[in-house]
Amino acid sequence: MLQNEFIAKIEQEFGLDSAHITIVAEKKIAVTVDSGQALAFLSYLKNIDFIQMSLITAVDWIAENHFELVYTLVSWEKNLTVSVSTFIPRSEPRMVSVRHIWPTAKYYEWDINEFFGIVFSGHPEMGKPLFLEGWSEKPPLRKDFDPQAYSYERFPSREYDYEVENKGRVVE
Amino acid sequence: MWEKVQDITRGHSLWMLYYCTGCGAIELPPTMTSRFDMERFGIGPMATPRQADILLVTGYLSTKTLRRVIYTYEQMQSPKWLVGFGSCTLNGGIYHDSYATINQLDQYLPVDLYLAGCMPRPEAIIKGFKQLMTMIRTGEADGWKRYRDNREWYRKNQTKALGDLLYTTR
Repeated sequence: MLQNEFIAKIEQEFGLDSAHITIVAEKKIAVTVDSGQALAFLSYLKNIDFIQMSLITAVDWIAENHFELVYTLVSWEKNLTVSVSTFIPRSEPRMVSVRHIWPTAKYYEWDINEFFGIVFSGHPEMGKPLFLEGWSEKPPLRKDFDPQAYSYERFPSREYDYEVENKGRVVE
Repeated sequence: MWEKVQDITRGHSLWMLYYCTGCGAIELPPTMTSRFDMERFGIGPMATPRQADILLVTGYLSTKTLRRVIYTYEQMQSPKWLVGFGSCTLNGGIYHDSYATINQLDQYLPVDLYLAGCMPRPEAIIKGFKQLMTMIRTGEADGWKRYRDNREWYRKNQTKALGDLLYTTR
């Protein structure tokens, strides 16, 4: 009931097509918007009580050749969670920062920049290391990065002179 | 001769610094507190590396924490012993294919004793420590001497894993 009212409200006020809105669960709604429209939609949501930015995360859809950015927002007044998805091309991974809307976006955007290589325009920390020290490869959470090959090349594995699987036995 | 007497006495009073990088730290509170009571063997927790004898590395080490473990180990006074705790320090464990974690601790620091398991139970920890005390008394646990003598080899491996960041601050 509550979410249907809310969906009708954003359809009417923001002019979104209802095909872009899905009800995920009770009190949870997923909205897909174009990357050009995303910032306007996010600031619209901030103005209608979505004061909490819970999470920004990214998904690398390598077959479709785009990144999905997911903004999860919570409204305590409306008792609703909205996740806003937007797609940006892999060839030019660039999005406008939302730090001026939610200051907590600082670390989420910095983290995504480090692990996916997505650049958030207007964020002063882009390109600076956050978690990884001295990283020179491509961003590690992209799907075309092979963590196993990197690990085996960089960190030597222990050599066993027998097949470990066949030596299973109970010790005291 | 004097070294042998020293080794016998050293094994009786061990202060342990635990570097709780991974999930292994959760097995230490029961080991220290009343049920398993590590202190009846003469092993107690110590707050600072400069006064500790044992460095216990519990769990996986990312390259970032490996740097801090190397600093911690080098701050400790000799004689000092390093115990690798859990599968992750031994062969990478379930993180063997991770881009962020090292696979073998003994490539970078001299490990005196490994406690295998994911996770080792408090009984296994106490058994491991008793084994370490025996090794200290017999002089087998000589990791700090190995580190002193093979400094070049350890430094080469550390540089390979960490790049040029080893002694830079950020």
